[in-house]
Amino acid sequence: MRFSLKTVAAAALVSSLGCGSAMADWHKSYVIEWYEPAHYYGTDTGIVDPGTDCPAGSNPEIDHIKVLIDAGYTEQEAEWLRDQNHPYRLPNHGSNQMAFRGEGRANVYTQPWTYPDPGLTPVSGTISQGVDLDGDKGNGFTSPDGRTGIDNEFYRTVGCWKTYRGPDRLSSGAMTFNDSMREGSWTVAIVVSGSGDDPMNDDDVKVAFYDSQDALVKDGNGEIATDYTFIVSPHKKFEAIFDAKTVDGQIISTEPMDEVWMRDPSYNRELQLLKAQVHLKMEDDGRLTGVFAGYRPWEPVYEGWVRARGTVIESLTWVNLPGVWYALKRNADYSPEGADGEKTHISFAMRVEAVEAYVMHPDADEELTQVASFKDIAVEGPERPYRSFTRDGIVPDKDGVILAGPDAPIVPPTVTREELKSRLAAQKSAASGGQ
Amino acid sequence: MLRRLIIPGLAGFAAIGGLLSYTAFAEGGKSSSAIVVASNELATVLAPEELEQVGERESFISAYRRLTESQYRHAIADIFGDDIKVEARFEPERREEGLQAVGNAQLSVTTSGLEQYYSLARSISRQVVSAERETDYLPCDVTSSKDAARKCADEFVQEIGGKLYRRPLTKAERTLTLTIWDASAEGKDDYTQAFEHALTSLLISPEFLFRTEVAERVDDSDAFQLDAYSKASRLAFYLWDSPPDAELLEAAARGDLNTLDGLSVQVERLLDSPRFDLGVRAFFTDMLHFESFETLTKDTMTYPKFSQAVADSAREETLRFLIQHLVDDEGDYRDIFTTKKTVLNRTLAAVYNVPYPSREEWTTYEFDEDTERSGILTQVSFAALFSHPGSSSPTLRGKHLQEIFQCTKIPDPPADVDFSKVQAIEEGTVRERLDAHRTDPTCASCHILMDPAGLALENFDSLGQFRTLENGDPIDVSADIFGQEYSGATGVGEYMKSNPQVVSCVVQKAYAYGKGRKNDYREGQFLNSKTEEFADAGYQLKDLFRSLLTDPKFYEVEVPEGLSARTDSASLTTKAPASGGN
Amino acid sequence: MTRFNRRSLLKGALTGGTSVCLGLPLLDQWMGAHGETLSGGQPIPTRFGTYFWGLGLTDTPAGGSRWVPTKTGYDYDMMPELESFRALKDKVSVFSGFRVIGDGKPNVVHWSGHASILAGGAPDRTGEMIGPSFDNKVADAIGATTRFRKLDITPTGDPKANYSTRTGSAFATPETTPLALYTRLFGEGFQDPNDPNWAPDANIMLRKSVLSAVGEQRRALMADVGRNDQIKLDQYFTSLREIENQLAIQLERPAAAEACVIPEEIAESKKSITIDVVNKNTRIMAKLLAMGLACNQTRVFNFVHTPGTSTTYIAGEPKTYHQITHDEPTDAELGYQPETSKLAGLVMEGFGIFLEELNAIEEGNGTVLDNSLVMAFSDTGYAKIHSLENIPVFFAGKAGGRHKAGQHVRMEGEPVSRLSLTAMELAGASAGEFGVGAMKSSKLIEEVVSQGGDNAI
Repeated sequence: MRFSLKTVAAAALVSSLGCGSAMADWHKSYVIEWYEPAHYYGTDTGIVDPGTDCPAGSNPEIDHIKVLIDAGYTEQEAEWLRDQNHPYRLPNHGSNQMAFRGEGRANVYTQPWTYPDPGLTPVSGTISQGVDLDGDKGNGFTSPDGRTGIDNEFYRTVGCWKTYRGPDRLSSGAMTFNDSMREGSWTVAIVVSGSGDDPMNDDDVKVAFYDSQDALVKDGNGEIATDYTFIVSPHKKFEAIFDAKTVDGQIISTEPMDEVWMRDPSYNRELQLLKAQVHLKMEDDGRLTGVFAGYRPWEPVYEGWVRARGTVIESLTWVNLPGVWYALKRNADYSPEGADGEKTHISFAMRVEAVEAYVMHPDADEELTQVASFKDIAVEGPERPYRSFTRDGIVPDKDGVILAGPDAPIVPPTVTREELKSRLAAQKSAASGGQ
Repeated sequence: MLRRLIIPGLAGFAAIGGLLSYTAFAEGGKSSSAIVVASNELATVLAPEELEQVGERESFISAYRRLTESQYRHAIADIFGDDIKVEARFEPERREEGLQAVGNAQLSVTTSGLEQYYSLARSISRQVVSAERETDYLPCDVTSSKDAARKCADEFVQEIGGKLYRRPLTKAERTLTLTIWDASAEGKDDYTQAFEHALTSLLISPEFLFRTEVAERVDDSDAFQLDAYSKASRLAFYLWDSPPDAELLEAAARGDLNTLDGLSVQVERLLDSPRFDLGVRAFFTDMLHFESFETLTKDTMTYPKFSQAVADSAREETLRFLIQHLVDDEGDYRDIFTTKKTVLNRTLAAVYNVPYPSREEWTTYEFDEDTERSGILTQVSFAALFSHPGSSSPTLRGKHLQEIFQCTKIPDPPADVDFSKVQAIEEGTVRERLDAHRTDPTCASCHILMDPAGLALENFDSLGQFRTLENGDPIDVSADIFGQEYSGATGVGEYMKSNPQVVSCVVQKAYAYGKGRKNDYREGQFLNSKTEEFADAGYQLKDLFRSLLTDPKFYEVEVPEGLSARTDSASLTTKAPASGGN
Repeated sequence: MTRFNRRSLLKGALTGGTSVCLGLPLLDQWMGAHGETLSGGQPIPTRFGTYFWGLGLTDTPAGGSRWVPTKTGYDYDMMPELESFRALKDKVSVFSGFRVIGDGKPNVVHWSGHASILAGGAPDRTGEMIGPSFDNKVADAIGATTRFRKLDITPTGDPKANYSTRTGSAFATPETTPLALYTRLFGEGFQDPNDPNWAPDANIMLRKSVLSAVGEQRRALMADVGRNDQIKLDQYFTSLREIENQLAIQLERPAAAEACVIPEEIAESKKSITIDVVNKNTRIMAKLLAMGLACNQTRVFNFVHTPGTSTTYIAGEPKTYHQITHDEPTDAELGYQPETSKLAGLVMEGFGIFLEELNAIEEGNGTVLDNSLVMAFSDTGYAKIHSLENIPVFFAGKAGGRHKAGQHVRMEGEPVSRLSLTAMELAGASAGEFGVGAMKSSKLIEEVVSQGGDNAI
């Protein structure tokens, strides 16, 4: 644990001189080494096994042939389209034609409402990590440590989808994004500061999550090394500051923050949270654990998966994407405009694990010992959205061509891409010549 | 690093001129030229028994010293540019009397070592003559007429050969190298490969791989002197860890280095160059046993922060620190044991558990006054190198404090030592475990020299991280060193700083490092006077080096053991860089 | 050596025949007389290697031992620290009771043992031997016709972990990582012995002539130097000649080698000296070496599993093996140092792994191990007291039938040099005597030397 500018030893020295009461300002600083949607895995075994959260286990693999038939393709067409060699299918990229299964062969990724709700099995358990966001102890989940009223509709919605499901640090989505962060793609630094005599019990505490351009460093065992230095990189968006208090080392929000933004470990990259709160703990071993929570806009979640390559996400993560859209919409529980209109936000919590680090003022020459905002001096951000090579959730070939489409002829896999290209070109010129 | 393009007629011209005239002299005999100024200032009159060994010789080789890895690398970068890749594993060096510079005098090249040199030579040659680079080095078109190409090969061999051998090539060496060129050019109309092979032969020649120190007779007298090119190499390898540059070779050719004045001019020039840093690095890399970084490992379960990056950074920290303190800040040598200042990067800051206050890759840093950090003693390099992979070692640290900084050789433990008194205790601190070192008279006789100071450094674990507890028990870092009470690393630092042996030791090492052999007891008085000069000058490293390198004693000729008396001088036709002919 | 000289012939063809006589021994001169013949008519050569591990094996102060079998002769009993080669015990002879006789010289700890075994006399100080190590004599006798006269290998990553010397003071540099060994054996310069399209590379001849020319400076350079420098230059020119030899061999069609299968390229491995990593690297490097032998790249090797003051350790433990051998008290009930004995067992696992890999490659009617003699030894007997008595020595492999393997031979107080002499004999490099002073030895250990084909593989 680190207090003020000094090392542990120096701090020990100070207290041994009986100067404990002289410690006016304190701070601790960390860097996130892992964060993921705060979900509760309801069994002790495996990563997709049935549990109290999802009694049937993670949602099963989808029969995409059936999905295509249900959407109006013939059985033969559906089989052709799922064939690895089908010309609409690029290597590793799934069949682009899968997108066109809405009403009138509309693209279901961009227009999910053109497709009947296929459903998405929700979490049926009663336990979830998170925070009571609405102050109503009577609704929501119970936390693993017994707090009631935990609002986490996001978990209820997607918690049985295998991308999000699994024991801590083992769900496939969390692993993908955290690996990327741990290899240096982005960094979130945390400073906790207060002014009381006892950091573990202080009524006036601030917690800040900052962007940093300094990469995480792995130690000799492949874990994120402690005690590295991270310079705060002022960012126009990514800076989340919370008012809080500490109680026996737990950091608890004193009031919800109206709006904060953070780097999201997902394809969206941007996480807006309304009525945001923290519930963290300064552990004895020096780590910081816990959650931050709030209402996040649900549509970008869906769009993130679509942009990431809808066809591939559907094939690999066993999901029917319009089902995600309908489910998020259905379970959204907050709207900044008031409770009556269409709900735009959904309650959400992020589980955080952070290790001790030095966090420096943006000038780089001294430690940031008190939480402050640097948005005003930011030149960077907002974060560029994930620059996908997809278009409308589907993948163009290297020349930028998408052969699939609402009017595309459905051909057997024996037809080559080149043949199909020339056929489509002929079709197009005939159509324009006809006019 | 400097990258010098060698375009004949421009940058390299002056050097070629110098080399050519020397060659003419070497081949024509000493009477035909007055280039070498015979001077007694830097000559040694040999004793009768030595003269008998030397016989009628006009010259002999007083030593062959294998180039170190860094000297080799610097030579290639200087001559061909630092974009030439030198990818090889060099043979380990050998340490004797506390220095590799001394141990290396024993070293030759084993088969696997020469295989590496050979493959390097081929790779360097290929890069030099490659189409992208050839215009930089080859003074002609490799596809021109054979006569033109051969003439150009001759120039190439003389110029590049002179730089590699650090002296003009003899006629025989030139001829031999051209023979290789001829054999490879036979029947070809592109002579690239011929140049490549000729260069390869120069690069694997012992004349390049070893520094040859030649003693030459002064006029017809019984006095000998280290020949000017040997002096040039000594100077350049000492102060720059690199071969002599063109200016130094010219000074050698002119005979400047045979006078004290001429020598001083060059010493001053080399000391003032930014390349002096390389010399300082090489000296301390040797003195501080930094070759051990090659094999340094730590148990990452116990020391998770350890990684190769930490090892590399630790080595670099100490070298940068020494240059900063001793050269840039003109600091007192003795303060390297006490200063709170160092040079850090982000990686090391994490190990030292301090914030890294800079965006630069390295920055100077000053530890808080109330920390126990104490100069080089608590740097990761010293703490980690002289520890075990899974624990610190007061004995290893104490031993190396003695051997490295005080020139006290600690004998190996007696073979029949009764280890049963040293009990394995997994609890408590190492001080209790080493109790037998203190109480058993056999152990105590040596361990009294090592353990007290080593135990006082115990607040620093095997990776140099600060701690106050071991196995949950508080660590006692008090020390009784020869009757004086000290505490902790800062105490050891004060002890080292006030210890006159620490001062005389660095003088002894600096001298032996340059001479490439262990100091003779008869040199005691000389070294004492150099130590006094060092003290009088405020313990300045530059002053020490200057004082040694401008002293005739540093160039004193020694007749090697086993130089057989002989009369046959036929060999001198190929070995006459300094002989003045047959 | 000058009557018939392949090198000068080749060279003459190139440059017009300047006569410089750095002769190469005749091809095939050293083909083992006992060697087996393959279908192609090429006899399978006998290989020789040393295998070194640090810190000996564990004795018990009361007079017992954790490694010396109670029974001598064939079918000895497997002691706890020998467990690792149980499966191959019929191919391993165990020697106990042998010692270093110092002739008044000090016990140079962690050095005198193997320095005496290798050079035949007690050394004066650490880092030096009284003369060349005998593996070089074997290499000169049986290794001259392969690409590498010998190979030096260690899985420790430590370039100083090698004890092979031609001068007594300069030691060969070993290959220290699996990748380095792979590159040396199968990288540039490797010729597939079974390649039907083999053709000599004209460039090699030119390259060789470059080396020859450099070699011509030898006499001139040797003239005006002191004794030490003469030795250095001598070594340099010996090395140069060996590389020329490697090139010369590349000019000849390699003899077919049935068992030779070029291994797949390997990746760089983790740098660590924990015992698990060292043993893992031992397996990879032994596998590569075994194939190098089968592919006729060399016939002689030195393998240093862990050096004398072995700093290998069990991951997560604060103490190294060396520290533990000294620190650990003898357990009153067990009568020995349990942790030390455990580590000795782990270190010996390396030996078991090594033999297993040599035995894995089939060749003729046996395996590469059957056609080899591996002499394994350590720096010390009982490490706790740096004992120079009862230094453990093993002969593994049948040396093409010469070695009557699988016996325990106990000779209390006999000098270790007798074992070296016997090993040379079995390797096909007979020497009339070996060693100096009290360790001068001219008597073979007849028990393990086959006089005929009575122990054929």
